[in-house]
Amino acid sequence: MSTQLAAPRRTGGPLRLGRRGIGLAPLAWIAIALYVAFLIYPIIQSVITSFTDRNPLKPASSFVGFANYLELFQDQRLLRSLGFTLVVVVFVTIVANAFGLMFAMLLNRSTLNYRAMRTLVFIPQVLSGVIVAFIWRSILTQNGLLNVTLQNLGLTDAAVSWIGTPELATLSICVVVSWMTIAFSTVVYTASLQSVPAELYEAARVDGAGAFSRFRNVTFPMIAPGVTISVTLGLITTLKLYDVIAVLTGGGPANSTKSVAFYLIDVAFTSNRFGYASAIAIFLLGLTAVIAYGTTGLLRRREAHL
Amino acid sequence: MKRSRLVSAVALAAGAAVALSACSTSEPTDAAGDALTFMVFETPALDAAFWDTSIDNALAGLPGVKVDKIVSPDADRNAYAKQLQASGQFPDILSSINPKDFLEAGLLQPFDRSWLEENFLQPHGNDIDGQTYIPPTNSQVIPLVFYNKQIFADNGIEVPTTWSEFEDVVAKLKAAGVTPIEMAGAEPWAGSMSLVGLASADVLGQDPDWIQKRYDGKVSFADPLFADAMQKAVDLVQQGAYDPAALSVDFATANQNFIDGKSGMYPMGSWFTGSSYLTPEQAANIGAFPWPTDDGKVVIPFNIGGTTSVSANSKNVENATKFAQAWSLDPQNLAVLVETDGAYPMMKNLTLEDFGVTVSDLYTDTYSLVTADNTKVSSFGWVNNDDALAPGINDLFYALSQSFFSNTDVAGQLAQLDADWDAATGK
Repeated sequence: MSTQLAAPRRTGGPLRLGRRGIGLAPLAWIAIALYVAFLIYPIIQSVITSFTDRNPLKPASSFVGFANYLELFQDQRLLRSLGFTLVVVVFVTIVANAFGLMFAMLLNRSTLNYRAMRTLVFIPQVLSGVIVAFIWRSILTQNGLLNVTLQNLGLTDAAVSWIGTPELATLSICVVVSWMTIAFSTVVYTASLQSVPAELYEAARVDGAGAFSRFRNVTFPMIAPGVTISVTLGLITTLKLYDVIAVLTGGGPANSTKSVAFYLIDVAFTSNRFGYASAIAIFLLGLTAVIAYGTTGLLRRREAHL
Repeated sequence: MKRSRLVSAVALAAGAAVALSACSTSEPTDAAGDALTFMVFETPALDAAFWDTSIDNALAGLPGVKVDKIVSPDADRNAYAKQLQASGQFPDILSSINPKDFLEAGLLQPFDRSWLEENFLQPHGNDIDGQTYIPPTNSQVIPLVFYNKQIFADNGIEVPTTWSEFEDVVAKLKAAGVTPIEMAGAEPWAGSMSLVGLASADVLGQDPDWIQKRYDGKVSFADPLFADAMQKAVDLVQQGAYDPAALSVDFATANQNFIDGKSGMYPMGSWFTGSSYLTPEQAANIGAFPWPTDDGKVVIPFNIGGTTSVSANSKNVENATKFAQAWSLDPQNLAVLVETDGAYPMMKNLTLEDFGVTVSDLYTDTYSLVTADNTKVSSFGWVNNDDALAPGINDLFYALSQSFFSNTDVAGQLAQLDADWDAATGK
């Protein structure tokens, strides 16, 4: 004889769940429709366009097969852009996560002061890339704050061309994007650290573990999901980098700081080659997917291992 | 259950409607319904108030016509016009675009030839294949070489007329501890003025049809004529003509550096004579000379300007054309450009006095280069007529001014430019 438990009586407002309420299905349909309209459809359209020689200012376009994709691998400007983008991705991923974790550990307290400091550290994340780039541009130009400070301190005789040589401009972009991304990493790691049970630290202390040992054997394994989130989202965001470059260097000097996204916009709206630009966009989408899935897979396996 | 399904169906239909509307490229609607759209761009001199006033002035003689302003998000109104076209929102009237980009799709309406002949000094100045899509209202010299009179006098330097004299001036200024040539290298369009001068004076000065020959595939950038001109640009860099940090200098900083006497010369467009760049006192200490050539022949890199283009697909082409014509003939509009932006008027029925403007002696002196009988060539990479470069090539050409600082392989970079040109023209 089975005992049936009475289902708890549901109460609630107009969006009650369950058989007698409206339910969430309609909202799900709207969400799906919006997702299809603004993400899936444009991607399909881009794939179709990438097989044509479409020019937005010409009345007709023709099917060109894989010509645009073949051109990708011979386009020296694209390959240079890809190289630059990967340099920024690697630099920003390492620096932003290292500093993000360091700041998170320094600020991992519940007092009012520490909460206020965490808010300050997060500010770069809420500023738009354009605003950040304008701020840094005023710092890095010939008569900018950095050169004036260095010269006043007697550290340099003449202005340093921070955005005027390919190497220093690349470094400047890396630093600025890292500065923005550190804020996000700090928040992710702070949240991860607060989910680590205090008992584990107590047990480690009882066992005589020092600070480094506690970090290596308790903290780092426990924040593994945070590492996965921070690294993956940071990679995806940096691979699509456009706004900071557009304002800070305009892709210069001599096209040395053009990211793939920046080059794509150039091809589409300066050279009027929508077909080729679509092929670049699909290439970037594929590259981002491969890197993101690969990274996520590796980090997930590490999580499981830990 | 039924209600849930019904609501789901309605939601799905609504979602589908949203999706379909997102996919459509329907014509934009506006509150006024029949208002024409006018794409403008704002600068410190041509601010929102200027455009609003100019639109009201042009509409004064056009009862019943309404115009809505669309502001380009940045100075690249050409790219913005393409984005508007791609999304089915091409404006009825457009300001200061490069018409050549839009002609293959038949997007622009040519202006009436008799109206052009009646009103402008050079009615064919903006011709593309025999038609004009921007009224030739004003002109510029791009570049002139501005110089600091006091620095020249202090160092016993005469205004150079040949290339070798110009190189001597660079050497003297460098020896005197003055940056010889100011360069706004952080912004390729501004940093490339020396290259524009060299390509205009050395290449087009010797072969005015060079750009047309490039379109026909009869010449290339890698040819000696063009390569030798670009080698001069590399030589200037290696001679120490620019500040080593020049590629970190933006346009505003370069202007200020030159005004402050930190540099002796400044190749820049003739807009630099305008009041938005120089006060009368500052202008009094500045002179200008044409970009020097090997033999001293005066070659003026000339650009005929204008503002209003009309969409051939406008909802009312006739009214859009009337508005564009009224806007172009209004002396108040051109007066602002003359005074603040150093534009040289090219109006047949108006003298400089008719504009009621206050201009500096520097403006008046350089205006004489426009009115004088001398060799005028297209300003390379700036003109909007038959000599406009292929899409995207302007920016790549400007960028050479930056790459010459770190890459002296002229032949290799020009070969790449040739490849880019061929890709842009589909050859």
